[in-house]
Amino acid sequence: MNGWTGHILRVNLTTKTFKKEAFSEDFARKWIGGRGFAVKILYDELAPGIDPLGPDNKFIVALGPIAGIPAPNTGKAVVAGKSPSTGGYGDGNIGTRVAEQLRKAGYDALIVEGRAAGPTMLYIEDDKVEFLPADAVWGQGTYVTNDWIYAKYGKSVGVLNIGQAGENLVRYAVVRSLEGRAGGRTGMGAVMGSKLLKAVVVKGTKSIPQADPAGMKKVGHDDLREVHRIDKEAGWSIQSTNGVLAWCNEVAALPVRNFRKTHHPDAWKCDGERLNNARIATYGCPNCTMRCGITIHDEEGRESELDYENVGLLGPNLEIFDLPAIGSLNYLCDDYGIDTMSGGCVLSFYADAIDRGAVPGGYKFGDVAGSKALLGQIARREGEIGNILAEGSMRAARKFGHGSIDYAMQVKGLEVAAYNCKFIPGMALAFGVSPIGAHHKESWVITFELKQTSRESYGPEKAQKVIDLQRIRGGLFEYIVACRFPWIEVGWSLENYPKYFKLVSGLDWTLDDFWTISDRIYSMIKLFWLREYPETDRKLDYPPAVWFDPANVDTEGPIAGKHLEVDKYDGLLQHYYDLRGYDRRGIPTKATLERLGVAEEGRAAEKFGKLS
Amino acid sequence: MKITVKLIGPFVQLFGFSEKELDVPGGTTADDLIGLVSIDRSRPKIVTRNGRAVVPGEALAEGDRLVISPIYSGG
Repeated sequence: MNGWTGHILRVNLTTKTFKKEAFSEDFARKWIGGRGFAVKILYDELAPGIDPLGPDNKFIVALGPIAGIPAPNTGKAVVAGKSPSTGGYGDGNIGTRVAEQLRKAGYDALIVEGRAAGPTMLYIEDDKVEFLPADAVWGQGTYVTNDWIYAKYGKSVGVLNIGQAGENLVRYAVVRSLEGRAGGRTGMGAVMGSKLLKAVVVKGTKSIPQADPAGMKKVGHDDLREVHRIDKEAGWSIQSTNGVLAWCNEVAALPVRNFRKTHHPDAWKCDGERLNNARIATYGCPNCTMRCGITIHDEEGRESELDYENVGLLGPNLEIFDLPAIGSLNYLCDDYGIDTMSGGCVLSFYADAIDRGAVPGGYKFGDVAGSKALLGQIARREGEIGNILAEGSMRAARKFGHGSIDYAMQVKGLEVAAYNCKFIPGMALAFGVSPIGAHHKESWVITFELKQTSRESYGPEKAQKVIDLQRIRGGLFEYIVACRFPWIEVGWSLENYPKYFKLVSGLDWTLDDFWTISDRIYSMIKLFWLREYPETDRKLDYPPAVWFDPANVDTEGPIAGKHLEVDKYDGLLQHYYDLRGYDRRGIPTKATLERLGVAEEGRAAEKFGKLS
Repeated sequence: MKITVKLIGPFVQLFGFSEKELDVPGGTTADDLIGLVSIDRSRPKIVTRNGRAVVPGEALAEGDRLVISPIYSGG
């Protein structure tokens, strides 16, 4: 089966057994890989209602047909499971050598089941699997753990590991890889921790089956060079993702003070220009020629890798504008294995809740030392407040009460990324309908809203744009498994991806063929949610209430006096449902499921929740 | 009239300044201004005036802040 190894490795930590399982060509063509494989496997194998932090959950690493093959930018893997933060389907995308090594070991996916008797490192080398003790690094951060693994196996192996946050079941703990990569902000680090799985190490020595290996090699290498050339010409990687911070500040889209404000006069101090000036090194994922990871020295003199999301949410969102201080908070999150975005939003929520009298406390916006201390308490689940905040902002708000849920900046239990949608209706919709909780990776429409329609519009053109982007970003790139940045940031044509797919699989597909796959996968994720939340309704797809609050409007600047309007947002949401073929709860109709080839899965879901 | 021009992201390095104030004649449009600061017109970009996208051909006013940015697509 060219394009796929044709096998999944299933490992059980309870019984210390493993099995190499073949999958069919039909399965491969229907779900492609990555997120497609993950959601289908989890839907078929998880009983609804299981504890995401119990042994019944499964931790999945899933790759796609071009993952790990030299071409733009294929050093990525999807990590997935039932999410501890949302209770729905959860996944993430991480830059890692596992992409190449697991495929070379002969697998397109890894399923980890059960729970180990003690801290464990899984070592996979081709057909061999070892269950090794990881007591030596249990309780250690991801940097020490990574070094410990490198000392044993060298730096060429693929590594996924967790820090103290994953071990202690912080609901927004991430998986880490290489020196600066993280993924799985839906709590995949906690899923690993719940299994006492400290690390997965992979080495592969086989070749990846391809229809035209010589052709793929030539095209892949040529295109890597071309992406590099275009990036140099465009200059994107000079400031990388943090270039957008200054723009967000100008157009009133920056999260400041728990998203209360949309811009700040000191934002320039941590913008892309200042980050580039402070740069000490640049890092990237495997098979990348437009590396985005800029490191600086933090307050303690450590090397900390920054991008826009972590600067935005650990910086201006906490009213901290000093880059080395932001670098320190980012370093701690990375070392503990806390998601920087959720970490930033949880801290800002706590400061806001204290400010508004919902809960007593001394923590304040702008408090760098207090932020550092709190991150440690969260990672260790230390004391009452460490434990509460480790649960995430939605659960913390339920505990604090006093209406604080309105300004817990999350959707479905996952905290929002660093775009303040106080008056950006389409982006608010993108967060609302992201199938894993608020995440920018699915769809990003702000430029479209400002340039090609109007910011004020709640029209169907915005719903359609969100869908178009979901098909590409949350679809194609998540199941073919490659980084979206060459397309997003330097305009690398989408037509290249069917070309790569044909070279590896021999299948001559169009982008329209891929969009059907994307829609199928989104529908499956919705069915997963329906089983978990049979009483689901459209309110689950609403953004944080504070964006609708007239008392929260800006008093000056480009959107002074403006806020999202509930009725209009609900209309925009309905446009999205209509265009998708979903019912009024946001669940695909039977006709839609039939059209997408998942009617059978729909019938299975009907045991738990109604379909219309 | 005085207009502030702010460049974003790699435009800072590519076009040699971050932010500057210009004295321009009344009736100057955003398009005219892009020519004045030697921005390559063929580059994809988004131009905002006081935080809102510029309508082609609209005339600028005293004290305006014009921001010229590459088209970001969100990390």
